[in-house]
Amino acid sequence: MVTGIIEDLKKTLTGIDVSEASYGQNGYHVAVEAQKGSLVNVAEFFNGRTFYLADLCCVDYVDYLELVYFFNHHKTLCRVKVTLKVEPEKPTAPTISHIYTISHWYEREIHEFFGVYFEGHPNLIYLFLHEGIDHYPLRKQPTPVPEDDKKLLNSFNPEGEEDTFFVNLGPQHPSTHGVLRVVLKMDGEYILGAEPVLGYLHRMHEKMAENRSYVQFLPNPARIDYPGALLLNLAHVMTVEKLCGIEVPERAQYIRTITCELNRIASHLLWFGAFPADLGALTPFLYAFDDREQILDILEAITGSRLTYCYFRFGGLYNDIDDTFIEMTKRFIKRMRERFEVYDRLVTGNVIFVNRAKGTGILEQGEVHKYGCSGPVIRSTGIPFDIRKTEPYAAYDKTDFEIPTGTVGDNMDRYDVRMTEMEMSLRIIEQAIAKLPSGPFKAEKVPKKLKPPKGDIYHAVESSRGEAGVYIVSDESDTPYRMRWRVPSYSNLMTFPFLARGTLIADAIATLGSYDIVVPEIDR
Amino acid sequence: MTETIVNNIADVIGWETIRTVVGLVGVLVVVVVNALVLTWAERKVSAHMQRRIGPKEVGPFGLLQPIADTVKLLAKELLTPQNVEKPLYYLAPVIVFIPVLVSFVVIPFDARLQVKDINVGVLVILAFSSLSVLSILLAGLGSNNKYSLIGSVRSIAQNIAYEIPLLLSLLSVVLMANSLSLRDIVEAQKGVWYVFSQPIAFLIFFIASVAETNRTPFDLPEAESELVAGFHTEYSGMRFALFFLAEYTNVFIVCAMTTTFFLGGYQGPILPGIIWFFAKTYLLVFVILWFRWTFPRVRFDQLLNFSWKLLIPLSFLNLIVTGGLLKL
Repeated sequence: MVTGIIEDLKKTLTGIDVSEASYGQNGYHVAVEAQKGSLVNVAEFFNGRTFYLADLCCVDYVDYLELVYFFNHHKTLCRVKVTLKVEPEKPTAPTISHIYTISHWYEREIHEFFGVYFEGHPNLIYLFLHEGIDHYPLRKQPTPVPEDDKKLLNSFNPEGEEDTFFVNLGPQHPSTHGVLRVVLKMDGEYILGAEPVLGYLHRMHEKMAENRSYVQFLPNPARIDYPGALLLNLAHVMTVEKLCGIEVPERAQYIRTITCELNRIASHLLWFGAFPADLGALTPFLYAFDDREQILDILEAITGSRLTYCYFRFGGLYNDIDDTFIEMTKRFIKRMRERFEVYDRLVTGNVIFVNRAKGTGILEQGEVHKYGCSGPVIRSTGIPFDIRKTEPYAAYDKTDFEIPTGTVGDNMDRYDVRMTEMEMSLRIIEQAIAKLPSGPFKAEKVPKKLKPPKGDIYHAVESSRGEAGVYIVSDESDTPYRMRWRVPSYSNLMTFPFLARGTLIADAIATLGSYDIVVPEIDR
Repeated sequence: MTETIVNNIADVIGWETIRTVVGLVGVLVVVVVNALVLTWAERKVSAHMQRRIGPKEVGPFGLLQPIADTVKLLAKELLTPQNVEKPLYYLAPVIVFIPVLVSFVVIPFDARLQVKDINVGVLVILAFSSLSVLSILLAGLGSNNKYSLIGSVRSIAQNIAYEIPLLLSLLSVVLMANSLSLRDIVEAQKGVWYVFSQPIAFLIFFIASVAETNRTPFDLPEAESELVAGFHTEYSGMRFALFFLAEYTNVFIVCAMTTTFFLGGYQGPILPGIIWFFAKTYLLVFVILWFRWTFPRVRFDQLLNFSWKLLIPLSFLNLIVTGGLLKL
């Protein structure tokens, strides 16, 4: 696949510089250097081969700005990094938002953080920073925002038409799962258009990373995705390990797998409680929380916290697990298996629930690569894309599990996929406990002050919502030159405006609930 | 001495008036006590269905919790949002009560315990119980809130849709009892309760009355996850409490109606009639609470389709069969 793509690229496109990269070192197979003239062609090339846009970010190298596009394929692993250099003074770049829908948001984000103007973008307004800014926050040199650009800040003014009205769903609304705001254009009960407005929980973790060392950033990922804190903790830790070339002992790998899967179940249980609540059934929430509480107790015993875990360290773990942990986990697995039957009787078989979830919020398989969806959202459409399988990390390649997929891509499929996934997680934990090797839980000789070699790396893990990736550019200092978080909810939410259009408000709420979005993760 | 005074007063204003006044006071007591009991019951039932304990601190088994809640609600500031339609906004929580109170007048609690036996009691109770949608409409229109407006629009569509099967299913009962008086209907069930001879009508009537009271799975006008709180989004404090009180009273009334029309009302062996009446009614209330804490909510179009495409044809069929069997 990889060599094929390189040859294909060289044959089809001119004006680009293609080279093979070391996957083990950089986390991508192919590096492409595009020019402003050829970028759209590159995007069209990958779109034609159903590659999805995993991430789009920008790095300020002072002399120039570099736009970094990450493409990957859902079925065959082939990560491609496409870079485009733009000038630091009044930077402009061609938009690819007409090809990849998700880049609507990525480009708006880069526009507000770096001041890059994307020519041809239909609605280049600020994504997160509604309050206004004086300087572009992620530029290395203080760069003031031009006066005439500040008028863009409040440009979101929905204009009413005859027989339509606007509803602000959120930021304070019971079913937006946090402080998401969606502006709905409605005709009676029907939604004519939906526009998510982000930024109510924006804390700029990417800037924070530039101001603290790798070790100091350890607690931050847990604040990005709080229900799946360990999984993002792992993403950060593994990326830095890969960058510094730290070997992790076998035992730590297994324990990472066990704790991550426990956290995944906890996160899915939170969703299992919230999704029926979005449909009006409040009781499953309490049942799910009862079970989730057991996991929190187990994880609290070893990590010391109940929600925002910071358990993994570079080269291993904070501390080792003991027999009580294994005993508790085994008890939990036994209990959870029985509980799934209760859940099935309580929710899955309910006629009203099935009528509400079946056939609503259908995501077409052919469309998903344009949105860059991942996780259960993409698996519900029938694509078995799971980073635990395609790019195995920790001890996932040593355990046997299946990737549940749906067929239609509706809310019921997303429900089924997540429910089966929890059972698969139990299976992984069981196998990992059985195979758990003895030995050290921490690599020796990991320096207190990490100074990774110069270079960049992209590494992704499968969080409970999808592909959570970290892109780090290192300049040999103990703080990252640039740290970029690719978060799954962001691209999953991008499909919402398209799925909500023309549906009833109740269906839109169900669809939003089925995504399992976490707003702090989207806003970062 | 007292007897003469009472007789003198009665001569002046008439026994019938005294009976009505005493009856209305009694009804008010029932309304308030029922609301308190149901608040407590709903919290307890929901708690046990959700593996919780529920209120337990205030009084034995938390029995005094509703009183504490009432005190809290009374002490709260009555917030009036800006730009509301003041007359409608203030009026809505007040008039939500009138139809509810009138419905109580015709309900026979026992063989000799009824405020007034009207010979068209069925019509009175149906007419007034469907009036409660008026206050929801006023609240939605007056609140200057889009969620409230959507909620009240839903409520009207829902009430129109479910009024018809409600009435049609009752007609077959009326046909069997040959009377529109509630007491006559109860007396006609001396042998067999209508729930056994009219099971389809019973089911349709009960489903339609759950929809009439806006309870789950038909609680679309106040759908929490969609419309925040629906028509009462902008109400707080005692105004909110009045809507709540009316909802619980409505629940009680539809259950009392179902008891009267299908479960033989106050009829039952050994125990006095009033105990039978309340036992049956609260059993049905429990079923409605049970629905609330186990079912998701149906969608708007599903709700209307269910009524127009299933319940109404079915109740027509039931009426025709009943009429045919009885009169031919």
